[in-house]
Amino acid sequence: MNLKQPSQLPLSFGQTELFSFEHFVAGGNAEIIKRLLFCAAGSEPETLFLWGRPGAGKSHLLQALCTASAENERASVYLPLAENRKFTPQLLEGLEALSIVCLDDVDRIAGDEYWEHAVFNLFNRVREEHHTLVLSARAAPKSIRFSLADLASRMNWGLIYQLQDLDDAGKLEVLQQKARARRFELPEEVGNYLIRRLPRDMHALCQFLDRLDQASLVAKRKLTIPFVKEIMTQ
Amino acid sequence: MSISLWNRCLEKLETEIPPQQFNTWIRPLHAIEEGNTIKLLAPNRFVLDWVEDKYINDISKLLVKLSDKKNISLNICIGSSNKAASPEKVPSKIAKTEASSSLVPAFQTNNSKENKKNRYSVATRLNKDYTFDTLVEGKSNQLAKAAAIQVVESPGTSYNPLFVCGGVGLGKTHLMHAIGNHILKKHPDSCVVYLHSERFVADMVKALQHNTINEFKRFYRSVDVLLIDDIQFFAGKDRSQEEFFHTFNALLEGDHQIVLTCDRYPKEVSGVEERLKSRFGWGLTVAIDPPELETRVAILKCKAALENIDLPDDVAFLVGKRFQSNVRELEGALRRIIAYSNFTGRPVTLEFAREALKDLLALQEKMVTIENIKKTVADYFKLRVVDLNSKRRNRSLARPRQIAMALSKNLTNHSLPEIGDAFGGRDHTTVLHACRKIDELCKTEPRIKEDYTNLYRILTT
Repeated sequence: MNLKQPSQLPLSFGQTELFSFEHFVAGGNAEIIKRLLFCAAGSEPETLFLWGRPGAGKSHLLQALCTASAENERASVYLPLAENRKFTPQLLEGLEALSIVCLDDVDRIAGDEYWEHAVFNLFNRVREEHHTLVLSARAAPKSIRFSLADLASRMNWGLIYQLQDLDDAGKLEVLQQKARARRFELPEEVGNYLIRRLPRDMHALCQFLDRLDQASLVAKRKLTIPFVKEIMTQ
Repeated sequence: MSISLWNRCLEKLETEIPPQQFNTWIRPLHAIEEGNTIKLLAPNRFVLDWVEDKYINDISKLLVKLSDKKNISLNICIGSSNKAASPEKVPSKIAKTEASSSLVPAFQTNNSKENKKNRYSVATRLNKDYTFDTLVEGKSNQLAKAAAIQVVESPGTSYNPLFVCGGVGLGKTHLMHAIGNHILKKHPDSCVVYLHSERFVADMVKALQHNTINEFKRFYRSVDVLLIDDIQFFAGKDRSQEEFFHTFNALLEGDHQIVLTCDRYPKEVSGVEERLKSRFGWGLTVAIDPPELETRVAILKCKAALENIDLPDDVAFLVGKRFQSNVRELEGALRRIIAYSNFTGRPVTLEFAREALKDLLALQEKMVTIENIKKTVADYFKLRVVDLNSKRRNRSLARPRQIAMALSKNLTNHSLPEIGDAFGGRDHTTVLHACRKIDELCKTEPRIKEDYTNLYRILTT
């Protein structure tokens, strides 16, 4: 945006993210979604470990599981361990009482003695209660350097799934869906243009989508390839 | 049925709070609505403080707005739905009280017979699935199982304490639960308690906080069978060790059975007082080793049978060969095959199993390369990688080189000529000879077998 010209501050529309299974473009991950739906319905206690590249949809799926569990009247919690510096391991106390515990980015606490112990203890307590634990990380459990061998071996216990990256059509679908949630239309050719020119992980694409949204509101222009080019060069 | 006030409040909150925050802080809350009072139960103090600090005012306002009543009172305390908070009336302003925690302490003080029974059901923490019937016996755990059977035949008198040591995921906990379940089956009125050592510590800390340390002591010193898992976690926790020492003595004096597990031998546990270590060794110490291939296959078949799956032998061997480090990993791979079969509706065949496990197998292959094997073997024998590639053939180099070749054959998908090339341009028959030689030596020379097994584990875990 050109700061020299008077510009209009865009209004915030509040909630735009919809973390549900319906809003997840499955691609090659249908089996994982089916398994998570089983978990939400409480068919049997489970330990699940999802891993994949940043932007593969781990956080989305874990939060979708929380939403679906609530629909089945099952208590759950979602903890982003990437933000562990904001919390203390005491945050994990008593969580085994909930039917479903989701720990996102569990690789981020690897090497931290206190957190590893806390996750290890939570793992044992959740199993004792016959509840479900769903973990996610950027790498497979075997590749994460946990210092507590007891924790590392437990991570390999349950079902381990690698989240498959979406193909370009899938990525376009996600971008268009996110655009609609922000109440604008992303034309197909513009979407494809973004996918071809930006880093291909979904985080980067979605961040740029946010930028585009703001910029088009301020500039009051439609999303066209020339406009996108202009924003990209800024 | 009308939607409860709290549920309506949740619906509104979901649209106002960013989803991640909602899922982290609001979702785990459990609400109890009684007339004009809503009591929120938070799973722990951290969540409670966070909610109080950031959300409670908004929740309070929202509840008043959504309700047709003027005087809604809102309280928040620590507790959970299955252990509801104490029903005492609370003041109308926001009150912070610590109600019952979801961590039900294993000890409770009521001694009436009726309650004693209930107490066991709460306190034993035994997993009913872990029995001797489901424990697959092999060379690696034969001795430990025999000792455990002795213990259940005459608890408190044969081996006390029974100290089971071994690496992670080899079945120590299973054996311990099997002992507990068996004794409880034979003596339904006995008090058998299983707990992880960290739970013992946590319960003790709680007892100290709540001034119930005397009940805690009395309880643990009176159980008939005490099963404590992973005692290496007592390291550095002096006060817990002190208490455990006294508990230990009291139980031993009364001929009550104690079973302990640890990841190493008693003498090797660091951070634990000498007097405790020496007591750990008073009874019998038995080790559990990693299961050998045949046992791994038997474990897989047994676990599959428990899930009503008939696992073909070739599939069991594939999994058993590829996942060697511990039983948890084996179980994880088996679960993956079963889940994939449920998902696709296809029967389990060798080809199907390879497909189901493709990402797990690919991961292994990606991690284990010939270069990696050479480096690991060289480090292990304190050699240089160039020595392994060299033409020199003295024994001190030839054996490690042969081990490295055998590992390359068993852990990667490279062909024999490729492996030969990677070891200084050797012929594929040299590789074949090396593999056969190591195979043979593993059967006759324990040292070689140990070196090979150690390296295998280092490379696959």
